[in-house]
Amino acid sequence: MEWVDILLLGGSLVVLLALGVPVAFAIGISTVLTMLLSIKTGPALTTMAQRIATGLDSFTLLAIPFFILAGQLMNRGGIARRLIDFAKALVGGLPGGLAHVNILAAMLFAAISGSSVATASAVGSIMGPRMEEDGYERSFGAAVNITAATTGLIIPPSNILIVFSLASGGVSITALFLAGYLPGILVGLSLMLVAAVLATQRKYPVGRRTSGREVVKRFLAALPSLLMLVVVMGGIVSGVFTATEAAAVAVLYALVLALIYKEITLDDLPQILLSTSATTAVVLLLVGTSIGMSWILAYENIPQNVSLALVGLTESKILILLIINAILLAVGVFMDITPAVLIFTPVFSPIMAQLGVDPTHFGIIMVLNLCIGLCTPPVGTVLFVGVGVAQTSITRVVRPLLPLYIAMIAALMIVTYVPGLSLWLPRLFGAQ
Amino acid sequence: GTADDVTVVKLAHGLDPTHPVHRAMQFLAERVREESGRTMRIDIYPSEQLGTERQALELLQIGSLGMTKVSAAVLENFAAPFKVLSLPYIFRDETHKWAVLEGAIGREMLDMAAQFRLRGLCFYDAGSRSFYTKDRPIVTPQDLEGLKIRTQESATATRMVTLLGGSATPIAWGELYTALQQGVVDGAENNPPSFHLSRHYEVARYYSLNEHTGVPDVLLVSTVVWDDLTEQERQWLQHAADESAQYQKLLWQEATTEALRMVQADGVQVIRPDKAPFVDMLAPMYETYRNEPAVYSLIERIRAAAPVTGDQR
Amino acid sequence: MTTVTQAVDRALGWVLVALMSIAVLNVLWQVFTRFVLADPSRFTDELARYLLIWIGLLGASYAVGGHMHLAIDLLPSRLTGRRRFYLSVLIEASVFLVALSVLVIGGVRLVTLTLTLGQTSAALHVPLGYVYVALPLSGLLMMFFSVGAVGRHYAELHGSTEPAVKSPELH
Ligand code: NA
Ligand code: NA
Repeated sequence: MEWVDILLLGGSLVVLLALGVPVAFAIGISTVLTMLLSIKTGPALTTMAQRIATGLDSFTLLAIPFFILAGQLMNRGGIARRLIDFAKALVGGLPGGLAHVNILAAMLFAAISGSSVATASAVGSIMGPRMEEDGYERSFGAAVNITAATTGLIIPPSNILIVFSLASGGVSITALFLAGYLPGILVGLSLMLVAAVLATQRKYPVGRRTSGREVVKRFLAALPSLLMLVVVMGGIVSGVFTATEAAAVAVLYALVLALIYKEITLDDLPQILLSTSATTAVVLLLVGTSIGMSWILAYENIPQNVSLALVGLTESKILILLIINAILLAVGVFMDITPAVLIFTPVFSPIMAQLGVDPTHFGIIMVLNLCIGLCTPPVGTVLFVGVGVAQTSITRVVRPLLPLYIAMIAALMIVTYVPGLSLWLPRLFGAQ
Repeated sequence: GTADDVTVVKLAHGLDPTHPVHRAMQFLAERVREESGRTMRIDIYPSEQLGTERQALELLQIGSLGMTKVSAAVLENFAAPFKVLSLPYIFRDETHKWAVLEGAIGREMLDMAAQFRLRGLCFYDAGSRSFYTKDRPIVTPQDLEGLKIRTQESATATRMVTLLGGSATPIAWGELYTALQQGVVDGAENNPPSFHLSRHYEVARYYSLNEHTGVPDVLLVSTVVWDDLTEQERQWLQHAADESAQYQKLLWQEATTEALRMVQADGVQVIRPDKAPFVDMLAPMYETYRNEPAVYSLIERIRAAAPVTGDQR
Repeated sequence: MTTVTQAVDRALGWVLVALMSIAVLNVLWQVFTRFVLADPSRFTDELARYLLIWIGLLGASYAVGGHMHLAIDLLPSRLTGRRRFYLSVLIEASVFLVALSVLVIGGVRLVTLTLTLGQTSAALHVPLGYVYVALPLSGLLMMFFSVGAVGRHYAELHGSTEPAVKSPELH
């Protein structure tokens, strides 16, 4: 019975996406079609409308446009550039120097931004042209930028960890945020390793080494930007702000900094606000329609049945974690991270509890896993943004992405089977 | 197989599967299955899988969801008389409360929801709410003077805390632990199981069982769905709901006793203050309803209902 | 036609700028009232949530006008001429269909339901129906923009040099 639903939902979605129908609208059509199998037309349409509106009815979700706005201000306000300069002073002298600069800068930017999209656009728009000037293939630069930008969702603050906290029924946001640091750094290091190997093979240029004095100078220039990390994360970890409040404060901080740096004027603000609204709205409509889709999935018990069937295969904790990782990787290929987290957190959480996996640790496993999906076609937000800022195409960027996927999957395996990597910091700060 | 011959009603709620309400619903589903000879099935979706309490309520009105459970306080947004159930000390004691809710007045209130496309099936016990505080125990209302107390976003709750001399502070339930910890508020109020499960007892070490309000939960069915059921199916459902309500009361009492035992074992000081001074200070709340005849007559009828021997006040 | 589209587009742009500014100021006000005035505001949480609904929905219609919604462009980018035009019409029709059925019809039903049942919000006491008006409004704007896009695609097919896709700007 449920197989009819799955076939209709999945089949129509694949066809619509392949035709080039915008993802949010394709999800909308597929969801309504599936609803019509068991709900009358009027109530089905009204339910979908209600799902979209109430899906957005969330104070916590407002952190997302704020972090995006802060990201835009930081980008235009010279913050990203200063972070990049600082990163360049640190790792520019390694083989494949600019690739490492991109990765490190993405991690630094990640630490003040809640979104991988903001990270991809802020760092990518500056690094793309620089890498191309130095002889890097445009698609390679874009691939490095796309994968590194996912640390924006693992290194706190992180919009998706907020969503996970909601979906899991209240795992502490502070604990999740603290748990993200080490896995995020691990992803960054794995990407750097692959980038170094590839750069050596392809004979990409090695940048000049930077003197100690230069490093200090760059650090001081980046310091006000790095202090934002202290304000945002310090505020959240100490419990002074909620994530949304911290994001609003980040907007104010970034605005003040950008005005001081004289890289924007008040006249630029309307344009920045408009572009933030439009960028956010694209994500928000996706969230809304995905929430509709996850609703019909839950209504038809689809995730439960599928996952129970799969988990019924074995009782080994190691194997179940492997199966769940495989399911999530497959899901991530086709689904955006936000709806995937919303749909699968409630499904897998009870199994995780049964296996004795800490919910905070599971949050990091899930998000890191789906971060890989963000970089894969056909549905990958960070991939789209990264390709967009680099003005290349999805088809071209897939090939250089392949080795980087392997690095991310290796990091995922380490994070999955070494819980301490995620749980050490939350325990240290007593946030568990 | 024969799935097509089975009438399925979908029931969604926001609580955890270990909650007494969920367990009572499982009992209800089991009773429906048995009584109907497996021709009718209730599918339960816990933990906000199909939406929050308010959203699920809206889905009932839309007609895409069959049943849900909400706090009676939520229904006051639709039917003004439901406000009465949120009034402090509207019930003299537990016996009085259930005499009213399971009697003619209760049935009348459950039917009142029909004009909003909702039909009440039965009331579930949600216990009584009491104050818990950080720095000093609440023995008399005067102890609340100047304290910042987290309250639900409702005019009634705000007014109550204000009348008792406290300062009502709206804070999201999920953020309350930290707020208590950091002294953003000095206290809050809830029933014993919630006080325990939220772990607020770790930071608020005084729990005063002044039991100011006893708003029940209501099990609702969408009239859109109800109208599609046969007369026989409606009877099965109503009967199973009534049985589940009795079972749920027992489960709730167990949960309350257990929660109080656990927090006391952890060293929380549980106080049983004299309720009379609280009742007196809150009396003005009743007077404001004099200009709402529908509400006020209901208050008077509840107070007159089933007089209990041995005055608790 | 073009001037009408531009006027609607510009008005919508300024509405979004206003909504987003209010959203930021509102949350900053929440922080300020809690830390500086030590008297937390009661309405900011609810206002923030309703603003997000409006920003999300109106912004999504603006994004339809700007062709900014995420899509997999493999097939459209491979087609040219008449075939590409037909596919564009099909894509715009999908947008139009969702806008009409879910946002306008579903939205109007939802607005009517919440208005007739008299549901109001907890803090601001606004009828919830007014909040949900964002749904049909956004749907109508999406329908308007998708029809406009078909017009531009048609003009492009017949040799117009004006690009069928525009970028988000306050004119
Ligand atoms: Na981040
Ligand atoms: Na993907």
